[in-house]
Amino acid sequence: MTTDTDTAEAEVEAPPAAKRRVPRHRLVLAAAVIVALAAGGLLAFTEKQRGASPSANRALVDAEATAKAVGDVSNALVKVLSYQHGDVAATEKAAAQLLEGKAAGQYRALYGQVKAQAPAQRLTLTTRVVRAGVTRLSGDTAHLLVFLDQVSTRNGKPAGGTAAAQLAITARLRDGQWRITEIRSS
Amino acid sequence: MSKTDFEKDLEVKEPEAREPEAKEPEAKGPEAKGPEAREPEAKEPEDTAAEEPEKAAASEPGPQESASEEKPEADGEQPPDDEGEKAEKAAEDGKEPDDEDGEKKQTKKKEESKTGERPAPPDGKRKAAMALAVVAAVCAAWFGWSWYAAAHDDSLGFSRERDEVLRAGEQAVQNLNTLDHRSLDQGLKLWQDSSTSELYQEIVQGRPQFEKAVRKAQTITSAKVLDAAVTELDQHAGKASVIVGLQITVTPPKGEPAVKKTRLMGQLTRTSTGWKLSALSQAPVGGAG
Repeated sequence: MTTDTDTAEAEVEAPPAAKRRVPRHRLVLAAAVIVALAAGGLLAFTEKQRGASPSANRALVDAEATAKAVGDVSNALVKVLSYQHGDVAATEKAAAQLLEGKAAGQYRALYGQVKAQAPAQRLTLTTRVVRAGVTRLSGDTAHLLVFLDQVSTRNGKPAGGTAAAQLAITARLRDGQWRITEIRSS
Repeated sequence: MSKTDFEKDLEVKEPEAREPEAKEPEAKGPEAKGPEAREPEAKEPEDTAAEEPEKAAASEPGPQESASEEKPEADGEQPPDDEGEKAEKAAEDGKEPDDEDGEKKQTKKKEESKTGERPAPPDGKRKAAMALAVVAAVCAAWFGWSWYAAAHDDSLGFSRERDEVLRAGEQAVQNLNTLDHRSLDQGLKLWQDSSTSELYQEIVQGRPQFEKAVRKAQTITSAKVLDAAVTELDQHAGKASVIVGLQITVTPPKGEPAVKKTRLMGQLTRTSTGWKLSALSQAPVGGAG
């Protein structure tokens, strides 16, 4: 601002010229501001579009990431939802690594009963993933639909046949590993 | 996530954008500038050169000195500090002849301004404006490019098709699990419209027996999709697979409706009238599926 007034004084010798100079100068500034505003508007528009765009969901679009999510979540479910009466601690250990948040809390409550009963009744539960698909994948969050079968045996003999389940899973990617944060029966 | 990435981008870009601006004074030869700035810039040295001898003749050495120094300044090569001094100097020097020869000079300047001649704008302000313009232009180009890239992205087309497969798959699965014995023709027409190839053939071939069975049972069947996912999509081949968790309600003429959940696997094929189911089966339970 000080240089501005200084130069303005210098121009006292030629006021008409100074008059012409300022608008031209402002024109550049005004143009810059208009372009900047337009750019800002475009940014807001594209960001909005991007959020609502189908491509925000990377499921299948990023085939590798989709396969990784399906693989990690399927493995986690098999480990966490299977147990052997001889080694209930192994399942608990897997759960501690593969479950987080809400899912971890739900699981602890449920598995407390299993731990108490399975050894005495010599129960074994085997879980198998039949089909799994990613419904939504964006950044470090994935939603999956998983069909799984559970077979339980008592003392090595089938007990109660096969249970078919469909689960809606929410998972989070941390340290290159998908961990289950929510399990919902759909 | 994308927002912070984007901010990072901006941070990186801004200094980059400033670089050419700093170089500009050097490159400000008549040919290296935009047309807007070129015109006066190219003219200025000539005009002042032509004018200054006159000035020198009319006044003390002072103005001449300042005039010869003004030339490089007009080219923008002087650092701001220097320029400020010079401007002051020019102001002092310039006032003297003005007093003596004010009228003559003023008219002259008027003419100059009419012919498009203009003195150099304040350096700080000009720099700020240029910086802003460059930054804005870079931003605009970047946003424009990202918009264009997003709009013409292959993955956008793919994800749109995936969403369409899901929508069509859900609808077709629901259609094929909905039937009212009171409007059999309408219901079975919808079955046929929702299917293609093998599944369509099955429906058409099995239709007579099926109609007979439903008329006899007098059931109303409705379905609701609980959850669904596309598991495969081959855009090129026009084939896709979906899995659907479905809740089916069968209402017999007498008694309570029966509700059951079922897990379905469907295959879709793209046809001229959209994606249609070409196969539909229950996910295997207990077997080695």
